[in-house]
Parts: sequence; structure tokens; C-alpha cells
Amino acid sequence: MSVLTLDKVTYAYDGTKKQVLKGISATFEAGKVHTIVGKSGSGKSTVLSLIAGLDVCGGGRILHGDDDLARIDRDRYRAQGIGVIFQSYNLLTNATAVQNIVLSMNISASPERDKKSYAFALLEKVGIDRETAARTVLKLSGGEQQRVGIARALAHNPGILIADEPTGNLDRETESEILGIFSSLAHDEGRCVVIVTHSKRVTAIADVVLSLNNGCLSVLKS
Amino acid sequence: MYVIANAWHNVLRNRGRNLLLGAIILVVIVSSVVALLINNTTTSIINDYKGRFGSEVVISPDMEKVREAALSNATGGRVMMRAPQVSNDLLLAFGTSEYLSAAEYTARANVNSEQLSAIDEDKGGGGGPMLGRAGPGGQQVTEPLGTVFYFQLLGNSFDDFESGERTLAEGRFPESVNECVISSDLAQNNGIEVGDAITATGELTAPGAEPDPESEAAAETKLTSYPLKVVGIYDDATAEYGDNMMENAYTNRRNEILTTAETVVAPYTQDWTGISVSATFYLKEPGMLEAFEQEVRAKGLSDEFNVTTNSALYEQVVGPVEAMKGIVLTFMAVVLVFGAVIMSLLSSMAMRERKYEIGVLRAMGMKKGTVSLGLWSEMLMVTGVCLVAGLVIGAFAAQPITNILLQQQIDAATAANSAGAFGAADATGAAGAMGAAPPGAASSMSSGGLRAAPIGGGPAGFNGGGSAGVEPLSEVVISLGLDTALEITCIALVLATLAALIAISRITKYEPIKILMNRD
Repeated sequence: MSVLTLDKVTYAYDGTKKQVLKGISATFEAGKVHTIVGKSGSGKSTVLSLIAGLDVCGGGRILHGDDDLARIDRDRYRAQGIGVIFQSYNLLTNATAVQNIVLSMNISASPERDKKSYAFALLEKVGIDRETAARTVLKLSGGEQQRVGIARALAHNPGILIADEPTGNLDRETESEILGIFSSLAHDEGRCVVIVTHSKRVTAIADVVLSLNNGCLSVLKS
Repeated sequence: MYVIANAWHNVLRNRGRNLLLGAIILVVIVSSVVALLINNTTTSIINDYKGRFGSEVVISPDMEKVREAALSNATGGRVMMRAPQVSNDLLLAFGTSEYLSAAEYTARANVNSEQLSAIDEDKGGGGGPMLGRAGPGGQQVTEPLGTVFYFQLLGNSFDDFESGERTLAEGRFPESVNECVISSDLAQNNGIEVGDAITATGELTAPGAEPDPESEAAAETKLTSYPLKVVGIYDDATAEYGDNMMENAYTNRRNEILTTAETVVAPYTQDWTGISVSATFYLKEPGMLEAFEQEVRAKGLSDEFNVTTNSALYEQVVGPVEAMKGIVLTFMAVVLVFGAVIMSLLSSMAMRERKYEIGVLRAMGMKKGTVSLGLWSEMLMVTGVCLVAGLVIGAFAAQPITNILLQQQIDAATAANSAGAFGAADATGAAGAMGAAPPGAASSMSSGGLRAAPIGGGPAGFNGGGSAGVEPLSEVVISLGLDTALEITCIALVLATLAALIAISRITKYEPIKILMNRD
């Protein structure tokens, strides 16, 4: 079932005429892991920003279900409709891991009554114990921060999870664990997972592989 | 609600930054508390004094004109110089003016009593027409013509009780017509006790007599009777005789019989002389002086009188306080401006540091308004803590600072007055003299030697015009009131909001993707 659709999406950076995305189209389905591969500077992260509602495409449409992202409240979309895992984690570094999760739940107006317990449970699910969860983010390793980033993306139970180079800063063992989590989220929990990556280990677990080259998107595996 | 909780967490998480910001806010608030406390207290004092002195009308003879008139009327080498008096009828008419908030009357009648033997009666009496002439050796000699009086019946003259020179030894003050108090010396001299009745006899002179002693002495007169009940006896520590005053029973202050103004004026007959009424008028606002003067001129006040307010006295009393108020207001304005600028700069710098944090929150879906609310809440929390501390510190610091500032202003005013005393007296004439004399004396210029007090007498009248001291204010008691606390709170809120708004406007113009991309 398609949950996200790119329909002839174009994009050019501010002040330039050169189009990074030249009318790309794709569909992303629930229960599958999608990866977008391509050379550096090919526009992979731009696609992710557009899907995440952090930016607006110049032409074409991005549909969340039937809703055009250009016409809906994107703050609300980011808070409730989608979970984003950044390459550089983008956590609140002065706050603890659990505070990051609880804050995300608060922003998305999560109905959970005991948000703190739920946050601990989520962190435990991605491999962060309670002691680690109570530390400030600055005192966590890169792998732990990435896990916290995943837990935060899941905090409001989104149908779509997108990740930008989620294993770029991790060792192989941690990378395997993280990929296992993504795979489980898609295949066991029925979420749509979109990962931008260079890593062949990531593409190996993907159900759909898309390649972005010269502003055009092609399907390598489906 | 989570925004507030998150803001509180942020305040605690970023202690260093908030301590720096808080220190600046605290300095601004403490300075503002001190300045506002001083300003509010001095303003109320100034308003009070302005109401009392700035609105008190002085109707005083223009002595230059009186002197010129006396010289032009000199006959046979005799110069008759008499201070003109406003007739009782006019004074009573002036009191009905719509420009007045109050009209306070005093009255005097010269009396004798067959039941009383006056103190120093052997020195003779006075109070009637006096003839002055050059005696042997060029000395001035005066001799009474007509009736000689030994007592003064004074209505509403209780200033000496307020100053403590007279104290009630027995009984009470007069409260209604025909009640009186007398000195203990006079009471002992005559065996009078509280509750005794005495009768005083005065004299009214028919209208039409020429304004010279001989004509007055020859004019038709009629007797007036005052049936008085002694309701109190007072101890008198005043000097029996004033400086350079002729000494006789009439001028001896132990022989003064104090009663209400209504008692004295009761037998008054229009245009007949013998009862002096004086009045102190209080304008509703000092700015109504000109209109009031026009009205009293229209009612018949001659050009020989000046109509002024007691501004010189007001300036002398509150001058140092006004100067101090000016200093603190300037100081507060500087502190507020610099404080606002520094707070805004600090807040902006803090926001630049927090650009990433704002980007993360926005990427997580937090709306701009919510982000702004959080930032504003943080600023208010820091400001709130500083406000409480600032109010406490400021309240304690205000009094010693006030004392130092006021003392400096008093010293400066004293030095200035000493340097320019003679010049000021020459330049201001009567006004200069009034400034150096008690307010009672200032009023007396308008009332022919009587001290002003409210009609009705008794303790309630002690607050009447001219009874306050004239010394420059040497002490200002500062206390923190609700109004000042509210003003400070408003100032703190405005400053915090201003600083937060500047920071918020800077940070919320960025889209989250740009903030995060810059970081990446």
C-alpha cells in the first residue's frame, strides 16, 4: 500500500537555476524498507528533506496519502506523520536521552499518559538501558545517540520513518543492530522505512532500492 | 504546559548563560527599585507640599505702595503709615470663590473684663488708636487715644499648641461658640477654674471715621459682649512679649483668651471696625491663582494688595527633594536604556548559541509560536527570580541611598542659600522674608498679625494653613508599597519581553532545514 508518493518532483537550490531534482516520481509502501543511493551531491538528502516536510519542492507534488505536503500544516506532519532520523542525530545535547523522547511525544501531542515510562520502553527497544537513558546526550556514544535518534523518531508512532545515513558513523556491529531494528520496524510493524545511504550493507536489507543520478530517479531493485 | 516545564528545564540546564543574564537583569531591577521607590516617595511628598504651600493664597500688602501713599499723605511733618487691611466683609466674600478648596478664618477682638485682672496690668493696656510722634531727643513716642484694652480674644489661634509651646493643662479645647481657654497664669491670677463663666466686653467703631487715630478715637462706638465659658486652662511657655514689642497687659501673651473664630465674629456688624478677621485661602489647584485674583479684584480688593501663592516656601522646603528626584529619574532612565540594550544583546547572543536547538525543535514539529513561547517563558523565569531578589535588595538599599542623596542636596541647597541670602532677600522683598519665617508668619501678612488656623478651632484645626514647619525636608522615609512593586513588575516584564522578542524575531526567521544543514 502506497503511503508516500513523489509525483514529478523538481527542486533547485535558492538562487540557482540548476535543478537538482528533475521531475522524479516514486511510491513508498508500508511494510517495506526503501533505500535511496547515489553519489555525494546527487540530491539524496534533498529528497529526504522534501519527504520530511522540512523543505518544499519547486514543482510537482509530494503526497502523504492523498494530502499534498505543500498544502498541509507541515509542522503537524513532522510532529505526527513522520519520524526522521538524522545523520548527525540532531538531539538536544543538554537534555537526557529520555527527555528528548518525552519532548518529542509532547510536541506530537502523544496520548500516552505516562510518557516517561513509554520513553524508557522505547529506548530499551532500541538497546538503551535505563541508566544510559538518564544520561545527557553529550555523554552518549555515537551509536547510542543514533539509537536515541531512532527511539525519538518512533516516539509518536509514525507510519513513515526516514533516515539519512543512519549507520554512517557506526561500527559494523552497531550498524547490524541498527539495520535489524529498521528491518523489524518495516517487516514486523508494517511501517514504511526510507533510508538514504551509501552503504551496501544497508541496501542489502532493502526491499526497494532507488538510485538518484543527475537529478533522475531510477529503480534498481523492487 | 509542557512548554513551561521544558523552559524551566532549559533555565536549569544552561546555568552559566542564565546566571550572566540574571546578573544584568538583577542590576537593572535593583537600580529601578531604588529609583522608583525614591521617585514615588518624593513625588507623594512633593504633591503633598505643593497642595499645602503651592495652593495657599497669600493676600499681602504691597509695602512699596503703602509707603508711597503714606508719604504723599503726610501732613504737618507727620507721616501716618498703616498697613492696609482687607475688610472683614471682603474676606468673607472671597471665601465663597469656586476656585477655592478651603477658606480658613481666624479672628481677633480687643476686650476687657470686669472679672479678670490682667497679667502686668500695672504696665497699662493698648489695642486702641495710637498716636505716634517725635518726642524729645528724636525718639518715637506713642500714646493711646480712646479705649484701652487689656486682653485679646483670639479665634482659632492654636498654632502654639502644635509647636508644643502651649499645652493644655486642664479641660479641653473650645468646640462651640462662647467656649474659651485661658493661660494658667491668668487663671491663677484670678482664681478661675474650668467651668467658670466670664464676660468679656469689646468695642466696635462706626464706619466713616477717617483713618487716623484722632478721628477713630472721636468716632461713634458701641460695646459688644462675649459671655464665655472657660472649658480649658493651658500652660504657656511662649515668651510673654515679642521682640521689640511695647510691654503692657495688652501685648502680654498670657492675657490671650483663645476661642473659636465664630465666637469672635458673632457680634460683628457690617462695616463697623473692631473685629479683625483674617483668612487663609486654599486654591483647588495652584494654576487657579490668576482666576482667583481676578475674582477678588472684581469683588473689591485694592491694588495695595498682592495676591500670591506661597511658592517661595514650597521651593525652600521641597527643593532638595525635587533635585534628588531629578537625579534618580535620570539615573533610572540611563539604567533602563542600558539595561534594555545589554539584555537584548545578551539575549541575541544566547539565541545564536541556541540556533541549533531551535532548529531541532522545529524539525521535530514544534511550531514557531510554541518555540517563541518557550523562549519568552525562559526569559520571564529568569526575570521573575531576579525580580524577587531585586525587590528585596532594592527595598533595603533604597533608604541609605536616599539618605546620602538627600544629604548631598541639602548641603548644596544650604551652601547656595548662604551664598545668595542677601541678594535673594533684596530681590524678593516680602516673599523672601516669608521664606525665612514660619508659615504662620507668612499668613499673618495677609491677616494683620494673626496666625491662621481653621475655623472651628480645637485639635481638628491644627492642620490648618501655615502650621507646618518650614525647615527643608531632612528625612524621607522610604517604604516598598504595592504600587511600586507593581511598577517594577511591569518594567521587568517589558524588559524581558523586549529582550525575548528581539531574540525570537532573529531566530524564528530561519527555516529548520537551513539551521540543520548549516550544522551538518
